[in-house]
Amino acid sequence: MTASTLKPSTLPSATTSPLAWVRSRLFPNVRSGILTIVLAPLLVYAAYRAALFLFVNGRWEAVTRNLTLFMQGTYPRDQQWRIVAQIVVLALAFGIGAGTASAVRADVAKEAGLALPRQSPLSVIRRFWSLIAFVLLLLYFASTATPWLVVAGAVAAFLVGTLARFIPTSLRNLGWTLAALALVAGFQVVSGTVGYSWIVTAIVLAAGAWSTFKFENVEGRRALLYRALVAVAAWVVTYLAYTQLVYPGVGWDYWSGLHLTLWVSSLAIVLSFPLGLLLALARRSTLPVLRWLSTGFIELIRGVPLITLLFMGQYILGFMLPQGTNLSSISRAITAMTLFTAAYVAEIVRGGLQSIPYGQTEAALALGLPTGKMMRLIIVPQALRAVIPALVGQFISIFKDSSLLYILAINEFLGVRSLVHAQADFRAVAHAETLVFVAIGYWAFAYAMSKESQRLEVRLRAGRR
Amino acid sequence: MSSGRAQIFADATEAKGDVIIEVEGVDKFFGDFQALKDINMNVGRQEVVVVIGPSGSGKSTLIRCINRLEKHDRGRIVVDGIELSDDLRSIQEVRRETGMVFQQFNLFPHLTVLENITLAPREVRRMPKKEAEEIAMRMLERVKIPEQAHKYPGQLSGGQQQRVAIARALAMQPKVMLFDEPTSALDPEMIKEVLDVMEELADSGMTMIVVTHEMGFARAVADRVVFMAQGQIVEVGTPEHFFTDPQEERTKLFLSQIL
Ligand SMILES: Nc1ncnc2c1ncn2[C@@H]1O[C@H](COP(=O)(O)OP(=O)(O)O)[C@@H](O)[C@H]1O
Ligand SMILES: [Mg+2]
Repeated sequence: MTASTLKPSTLPSATTSPLAWVRSRLFPNVRSGILTIVLAPLLVYAAYRAALFLFVNGRWEAVTRNLTLFMQGTYPRDQQWRIVAQIVVLALAFGIGAGTASAVRADVAKEAGLALPRQSPLSVIRRFWSLIAFVLLLLYFASTATPWLVVAGAVAAFLVGTLARFIPTSLRNLGWTLAALALVAGFQVVSGTVGYSWIVTAIVLAAGAWSTFKFENVEGRRALLYRALVAVAAWVVTYLAYTQLVYPGVGWDYWSGLHLTLWVSSLAIVLSFPLGLLLALARRSTLPVLRWLSTGFIELIRGVPLITLLFMGQYILGFMLPQGTNLSSISRAITAMTLFTAAYVAEIVRGGLQSIPYGQTEAALALGLPTGKMMRLIIVPQALRAVIPALVGQFISIFKDSSLLYILAINEFLGVRSLVHAQADFRAVAHAETLVFVAIGYWAFAYAMSKESQRLEVRLRAGRR
Repeated sequence: MSSGRAQIFADATEAKGDVIIEVEGVDKFFGDFQALKDINMNVGRQEVVVVIGPSGSGKSTLIRCINRLEKHDRGRIVVDGIELSDDLRSIQEVRRETGMVFQQFNLFPHLTVLENITLAPREVRRMPKKEAEEIAMRMLERVKIPEQAHKYPGQLSGGQQQRVAIARALAMQPKVMLFDEPTSALDPEMIKEVLDVMEELADSGMTMIVVTHEMGFARAVADRVVFMAQGQIVEVGTPEHFFTDPQEERTKLFLSQIL
């Protein structure tokens, strides 16, 4: 134990002078003092070299002249407007989501008779500072006005979206439905509406209709019938609209760069979560067949390196699917990444399920809850809360590992570098610069995810134990 | 409610009035170990039965068989005319009629007090939210903590948590309440607030089976006391009988240890 932990007088306080601050933080006792004296020059030197590289010697033209290439890779340039539109629509989706979330918080606070905790714009900047810094870096590197216009459009769309907080409480699920719809629309602005894309929209609209119009003043069973009818109607209308109005786009086999990295990882994360949850539940099922299947799948996948799975996805997946299914290279990669992540999610969730005391199960059963509701309402929510950090860690991991697609000759964010260095001007130079840039890009997103997970953890723990 | 007169019953099946719980020749095994041996017990409507006995004597196992948290291996258990069998429906039905309060409270920590209480009425009885919340608030008033409705269980004291657990069970409007050592995990200063609530519940006419070591509670509230040891019912009587004139050696020994 050091002296500083014993003497409260050496603890820094808000009113101390700079000198006292240096004393208490850097030289609280002999041992720390020596450490400071040794480390400080090293740190200063490292910072000096880094600054020299960043601001003086670095040849950033390799990045600045290829900014578009890093962002969208080999995606057809004459279709760039689609990506711009996508960014704006996605910003709208996030705005609607944020607006609805804040309205929900307001509802909860009002019902509990508590003051609404206000969110300052500053706290939003602090939450997403790594992403904001990355966008500012892109703007700093930009040589045209387009990126500035895109960012301005995205900010405006986000702000418009937050107006969703004025949707009345009774239609709260409408906000979530609109947000989900905008997410899907953002995807389809680029991908077009061909193939089975109508199914995703139909699911969103049918679920949205079901959960928005609850017919609460209609008696019991009849309300369920009405809700089902509205949902089916939404489904049919979506199907008809999509088959009547075909809007061609650029399929994801032509996507590349950071754009591809973000979509591939997001899809793998979003798809692997429910799959992993089901696997975890199946592994604890009372039906032996389910248990064996899920355990077998999990152990099989976890025993194989991701890169092997990715190759298997490219070369073997075809044999395992019905004849005539023609999966593109990107779809195969997303499938492999999803299965891989699902196996790990399943193990993480299983740990969470095991951590919930049996008393919770007993209390739920004693109240008359059937097993399904007991799991869905009591056990799973608590289990998921308990494993948020591990889950998000897994998601960050698959996000970074999406760079392995490079080896499959898919030009995602990291792979774009090889295109840059194939250019005459950068054949043998600026490798370090492009690497640093790509690293900053990955870090900005990974760090934001990590911070959000910590925030979620704290928020869900608030007021408990 | 006690008769005020020491009385010994021939066995535990002599319930007061109209019978709501019948336990007939029940055996329960955990592997080779027999936790319940030929248990026969009836409980009358509005009766309060206190179960006492040394640790490991099968008290918890007995009341957990009554709402099928444990499955009995032999014999018959009938609750309000519904016989417990492997049929899931009968189990659900019995659980809806039976409230249970645990030693460790077992509140749902991720839900507010109000959500804890409204959960089962809404999900099991399919009650609309408004109605369920009105009932929940009435129950919270009954256990005297309506002001805690929007807190999480972790923000409450042990005594308050146990009272929420009682309110949660009552919100299902059960016909029978089972208590498994409801005050054993509480700090001494909180025991009384929980026992007071239970006493008021008994006065309101609730049928209750209470496993407890609180002999003061037993004396004030119980109609009958059942003494168990080694998986068997050893002696049954009014509280007066137990305090003045216990018959069996094992009963005397046990009472001398806890009184
Ligand atoms: N799930 C179980 N598995 C194995 N043995 C058990 C289990 N539950 C209880 N027992 C045993 O059954 C006996 C009776 O337990 P219990 O009913 O909890 O006693 P009491 O509540 O009277 O203290 C004890 O010996 C205990 O060890
Ligand atoms: Mg016990």
